[in-house]
Amino acid sequence: MLDGLVITRRFDTPAWLSALVFLAGIAAGLAMATALLVAIGVPASALFDEVIGEAFMTASGLAQTLTFATPLICVGLSAAVALRLRFWNIGIEGQLWLGALGATAVALGDFGPEATRLPLMLLAAALAGAAWIALPLVLKLRLGVNEVITTLLLGSIAFLFAQHLLFGAWRDPATGFPISLAFDASERLAALGFGRTHLGLPIALAAALLVWFLVDVTRLGFYGRAVGENIEAARAAGVPVIAVTCAFVLLSGALSGLAGGLIVAGTEHRMSLTLGAGYTFSGIVIAFLGRFRPLATVVVAVIIGGVFTASDVFKVFYGISEAVVVLLQGLVLFGVLVAQFFGAYRISRANWGTTP
Amino acid sequence: MTETAIAHPAGDGRPVSPSAGAPAGTPPALELAGVHKAFDGKPALIDAGFTLRRGEVHALVGENGAGKSTLMNVATGVYAADAGRELVDGELVRIRGPVDAAAAGLGMVHQHFRLVPRFTVAENVRLALGRRAGSPAAAAALVAAKAEEIGFPVRPDARVADLSVAERQRAEILKVLLLGARVLILDEPTAVLTEQESDALLAFTARLAAQGGSVVLITHKLREVAARADRVTVMRQGRTVLDGAPIASVTPAEVARLAVGATVAPVARPRRAPGGPALTVEGLSHRREDGGVTLDGLTLALREGEVLGLAGVGGNGQSELVACLAGLATPRAGSVALAGRDVTMASPAARRDLGLRVVPADRFAFGLVRGFTVADNLALAALRRGRYGSPLGVARRRIRRDAEAAIRDHEIHGATPGRSTGLLSGGNAQKVLLARELDDAVRVLVAHSPTRGLDVRAAQAVQAAIAAAAERGVACLLISEDLEELMALSARIAVINRGRIVGEMPVEEASAAALGALMVGHA
Repeated sequence: MLDGLVITRRFDTPAWLSALVFLAGIAAGLAMATALLVAIGVPASALFDEVIGEAFMTASGLAQTLTFATPLICVGLSAAVALRLRFWNIGIEGQLWLGALGATAVALGDFGPEATRLPLMLLAAALAGAAWIALPLVLKLRLGVNEVITTLLLGSIAFLFAQHLLFGAWRDPATGFPISLAFDASERLAALGFGRTHLGLPIALAAALLVWFLVDVTRLGFYGRAVGENIEAARAAGVPVIAVTCAFVLLSGALSGLAGGLIVAGTEHRMSLTLGAGYTFSGIVIAFLGRFRPLATVVVAVIIGGVFTASDVFKVFYGISEAVVVLLQGLVLFGVLVAQFFGAYRISRANWGTTP
Repeated sequence: MTETAIAHPAGDGRPVSPSAGAPAGTPPALELAGVHKAFDGKPALIDAGFTLRRGEVHALVGENGAGKSTLMNVATGVYAADAGRELVDGELVRIRGPVDAAAAGLGMVHQHFRLVPRFTVAENVRLALGRRAGSPAAAAALVAAKAEEIGFPVRPDARVADLSVAERQRAEILKVLLLGARVLILDEPTAVLTEQESDALLAFTARLAAQGGSVVLITHKLREVAARADRVTVMRQGRTVLDGAPIASVTPAEVARLAVGATVAPVARPRRAPGGPALTVEGLSHRREDGGVTLDGLTLALREGEVLGLAGVGGNGQSELVACLAGLATPRAGSVALAGRDVTMASPAARRDLGLRVVPADRFAFGLVRGFTVADNLALAALRRGRYGSPLGVARRRIRRDAEAAIRDHEIHGATPGRSTGLLSGGNAQKVLLARELDDAVRVLVAHSPTRGLDVRAAQAVQAAIAAAAERGVACLLISEDLEELMALSARIAVINRGRIVGEMPVEEASAAALGALMVGHA
C-alpha cells in the first residue's frame, strides 16, 4: 500500500495549510483524549458537558478556568521565550518556587509601605526567578554546561529550599502544618468579582503583550531568532550574542518567578508545598502548542486551564487520577506535533517500475 | 580548454575505444529509464535515463541542480521517483532504501560521508554489515584484507574523527565495497581532495573497473576525471542530454556546452591601482584547543582595490585565519589591523563597523542562518547599523523591498524574500551571502573558497562580484585551492603552508608549478 506513495518536502507551507494542520492536530489529540477517558470509564455523553460545558460555558467554570490559566500563561511564555533561543529551561518549577518564596518573603517581612507591597512582591518574585536561572545561564555561557541538567536539578533544590523554610522559619506556629501564615489584605491581589479570578489575570495578559512586543517587534526579538537558529552565524554577523542570550533567558526565569508570585498573592494567599507541581510540563506543552508565539500561548493556556477545570470534575465524580490529566495534555501535544509532518511534506502517488 | 578529443595518458593500459567494459550482449550493470522526480511540484528529473556497463568507469556530468545526484539517489533508493524504471543486470528491480540497494549490489559514496566519527573504521564497518562482520577482530581483519586487495591503505583501528578527508573517503568506499557493491557511485569524489589524492582515487576506480566492477563518477569538472573515464553521460536541467557517449568521441568543450547550454566568458582581472593599506596581519599565531599549531607567525598586507590570492592545500591554517580575521577565534600572538586600526581583540561587530566582511568556506556554519528567510538573512547584519529601524521596531517592509532588489540584482534564482534559505541550491545560497557581505559599507572582503562546489555559471557570477568589488576599491583576500581561479582574479598570490606564508609573487610571475611547489614544500 505504502509502496505507491512518495513523500516530498514542501518548499513553502502556505498559512492556510499551517492553520489547517494545527487544528487537525488538536482535533486528533482531543479524539485520542476522548478515547482514553471513555476507556477508563467516563461516559462519552458526559465528556461534552464536563469539558466544554463545565470548563467554558458556565460562569463558575469559566472563572475557575481563567484562574488556572493565569500562572499557565506565565509559564507558557517562560518556556516559549527560552525555547526560541534553543535554551531548554527544564527548571520552570524551580524558578516558580523561588518566585513564590520571593513574594512570600516580602509579604511576611512587611517590607515597604502597604501601598507598594504588592508591586514589590511581584518584583521580588520575578527577580528571584531570574536569579535562579542566572546560575545555569552563567554556567552555560562560561563553561558550556548543558542547561537541561542544571535547570532540572536546580528545580529540586528550589523545592527543598521551600521545604526548609516551611518546615522551619515559616511554619505556621498555630497548626504546625508546613504552610506560612496567611497574607494580609494588602498583600493579596484584588479579586475581579468573577469567581476566584484576580488581578493576576490582567497582569499575565500584560506580560504576554510585553513578550510579544519584545520577541516579534523589536530588534532584540529578531536577534533572538538568529541566535536560536545559528549562534555562530549570528555572532559573525555582528549580533551581540551574549547580551541577547542573557536577555531572553533571564526573561524566561522572571516569567516563571512571576507565575509563582501570582499564585501566592492571587489564589493561595500563603506559601505552601503543593502550589508548584507540574508547571514545567504544562509550560513546555503550552509553548509547543502555541508554536512559541506569545499571543497564541495565551489562548493555549486558557484551553489547558479548561482541561484542569474539567479534570477537577473528573477527579471528583469519576475518580480519575492526576496522572491522567498529564496524559491528556501529552496526547494533545502529540497530536499537534505529529500533524506538523503533513504541513512540512507533500504526499503523492508514484508510478514506478512501469515502462515509460 | 582545447578542442581536441580527450586521450588517455599513454602507458596505463586502459582501453580508449567504446568497447571498454563487458562484451556485447551482457545486460547493463545498471539501467535507468524514463525517470521523473519532482520536489514539491518543481521537476528535478524529466524523463532522465542512464546506462552503466559492467567494467566501465562512467562520468556523470552536469551543473549543480542538473539532477546528477538526484538520479543516483533514485537509483539507490534514497529518493522515491514519481515514475520510471530501474534494471540491475537486466532485471527489473525496486529499490526502497539502503538495504535494497546493498542487496542489489549498488553502493553510493555521498558527498557527506555516512560514517560515525567517534567509531573506528572497523566499528563503522560492523555497524553497516551487522552480523555479517562477525567479531570486532573479524571485522578488523575484513577491513585490512579488503584494503590490501584494493590497494588502499586504511587502518581498521583508526578513529574516523582523526582521519583526513581523503582517508575518510577511503574508509567509506571500503565500507560500501564490503557491503557487496558491484556498482560504485561516487558523488563529487574529487571536490574535497588534493590533486595527488584525486589521482590516487581515480587510479583506484580504473583498477576496480578492470576487475569487472562498475564505477559512476558524478562530477561537474569533467576534465578532472576525463582521463580515467570510459564513457560520459551529460545532464542538464533534469534531462539526459548526452547518453553514454564514449569519452574519446567528445571534446571537453562539447561536454561543457551541453552541460551549461551556453559557454561562459571568463572574468577579467580587476585593473585598479591599489590604494592605501586596508588589512594588515602581522605575526599571527593560533593553536587548536588540543595544542596543535594552526597559524605560525603569519604576516600579510592587503591594500585597497587589490585582490590578494592566498593559495594552499586545505587544512594549512586557512580556516583558522578566517576565524581570527572575523573575530570568532582569538590568536595567541600577533596583530590584525583594518585601515591602520588595531582590531586584534575586537568583536565581530566592531570589525564589521570598520568594513570587514567575511564569506566563510562553509556558508551555513557561520555565514547564513539556514532556517531564516532569504530576506532575514540579507537584513541580519545591517540591523545594527539602523538601516531597518530603531531597536524598538524592525522595518519589515523595508527588509522585504531590499531583499527583492538584492534577488534581482544578484540573480538569485529560486529565491523569494519569504523563502527559507536552506532550500536554495549551493550557488544561490552563496549569492545571498555575497549580496549581504558586499554591501555599501564593505572595505575589506575575506572570501574562503567562495566558488567551491558551485557550477560554472554560479562560480562565474561569484567571481564577477568579487572582481567588481575590487574595481570599486574593496580590498579582497581570496583564499582558494583553485589555482586557476586565483590566477584569474588576483594581482598577487601568496602561499600558505603550515600556518605561515612561504612565498608571494605577482600574478605575472606565478605558475601552477611554482605555486604547487610552495604549497606542498616543507619549508
